[in-house]
Amino acid sequence: MTCDAVVKSIPPYFYGELAAEEECRVEAHLRECAACGREMEGMASLAGALGRRQAEVPEFLLEECRADLRVAIQGAPRRAGGPAKGPWTLFLEAMGATFSGFARWRMPVGAVALLAIGFLGARYSGAGRTWWRPADDNPIATVRSVQADGTGGVQIAFDETQRKVISGRTNAPEIQRLLLTAFHQNSPDVRVESVGLLTAGTDTEVRDALLGALDHDPNAGVRLKALDKLKPLAGDPGVRKTLAHVLETDDNAAVRMQIVDLLVTRPDEAMVGVLQNVVQREDNSGVRQKLEKALKDLNASVGTF
Amino acid sequence: MAQDATGATGARLNPQVDSLIRAAQGGDEDAFERLVGIYDQSVLRLAMNFLGSREDARDVYQEAFLRVYRNLHKFRFDCSFHTWLYRIVTNVCLDQLRRRKVRKEEPSVVETAEGSIDRMEGFEEDAAEANPERVMWNRQLRARIERALGDLTMRERMVFELRHYQGLRLRNIGEILGTTEEAAKNCLFRATQKLRVVLGDFL
Repeated sequence: MTCDAVVKSIPPYFYGELAAEEECRVEAHLRECAACGREMEGMASLAGALGRRQAEVPEFLLEECRADLRVAIQGAPRRAGGPAKGPWTLFLEAMGATFSGFARWRMPVGAVALLAIGFLGARYSGAGRTWWRPADDNPIATVRSVQADGTGGVQIAFDETQRKVISGRTNAPEIQRLLLTAFHQNSPDVRVESVGLLTAGTDTEVRDALLGALDHDPNAGVRLKALDKLKPLAGDPGVRKTLAHVLETDDNAAVRMQIVDLLVTRPDEAMVGVLQNVVQREDNSGVRQKLEKALKDLNASVGTF
Repeated sequence: MAQDATGATGARLNPQVDSLIRAAQGGDEDAFERLVGIYDQSVLRLAMNFLGSREDARDVYQEAFLRVYRNLHKFRFDCSFHTWLYRIVTNVCLDQLRRRKVRKEEPSVVETAEGSIDRMEGFEEDAAEANPERVMWNRQLRARIERALGDLTMRERMVFELRHYQGLRLRNIGEILGTTEEAAKNCLFRATQKLRVVLGDFL
């Protein structure tokens, strides 16, 4: 296989798009050819740098888009039996049930309800938007149930929350406590932001929270952010232990790459065995190359004997 | 590395999708809503990643799914629904990008005497960072990435987006963009070469 052909095959090889036979030929060439090896390394670095740009979809944005779409395509109340229903759907159903005796008015009433909800929904969130608030100015968090009595009345049970806004320096204890609380929110956006603002110093609570996020958060963006914040603690034995564990178990190649980078900033003998074990099982060529280079720099063999 | 966490791949293999499509074609709006719910997160992510703007992504979401709603009766199961949907979504994304280029909107990242600044970025993060050099480096990298992606042709950018960020196979990308797997592979090669040249010293 010529170098030209191998260089052209590197992107599909990196993404696992080559047929097994071609992949073997490329790998054989990469073992022999340092120039093509550098090309492969360049591809892995590119993927690592670009991997951080992945957008997360905020939950509120998805909900807004769904609500907008619903308003755009529907002129009638929702039918029962659909997926998990949000407050708007429940309200629409209540409207439908309330006016069910007036079939000929159903469409216009539904349309008016949708218009009203669309208007209220359009005011929610984002620049210049506010969520609809009842008279006492408490926002509704969740509508729990809607029951029409069949005579024109309806009973709606809902939870209220009182939103507060707190401003302060990011290193203030109260702010740091809130950021730790934000770790447990459903929105990955909130978790990414809060991880990014935590200060990893001597505070073991913060350190443990970051390690917990690295080990358990389902969102790779949060894990990468936690990893970034743990950099100053790369020499801490407890941190290194978790890094080694996550390197062995994380399914995201960008996370594994960053862990290797972090571990090799403070080389120690204990890490050699970990890297040797991981390199044997690593199925991502970019990570594998990084591991091999790290072992070479540590004057260690790639295999275990 | 490529991500496909929200189930686009799974959805392609989901036998329930066909029955949802048939029910939606028959006028069942709940089925349509459930169908949308299977794919819409990955569609929104694609639009946000590709266009770099939440507002543009909202527009793409609305326009794409309205087109699906209006044209679902024409879907004949001669390709996967995922491919058919993504043909629509990629076309809407490319239209949006063309419109933006015509309007010559300012990019979110601007170069200033103090370096590159992302206007979409909050200020709080910078205040929190302990290392100003790191902040500057990250900003410069983000600016360079945007510039590098902006230098790609629209097709190269879409192929790269679908392969790198959405985790789609090149064969599927070819089907979506109405070309061959080989052409998609060549496009990906050109895209990565260009990106590496522009990002050079950051890699």
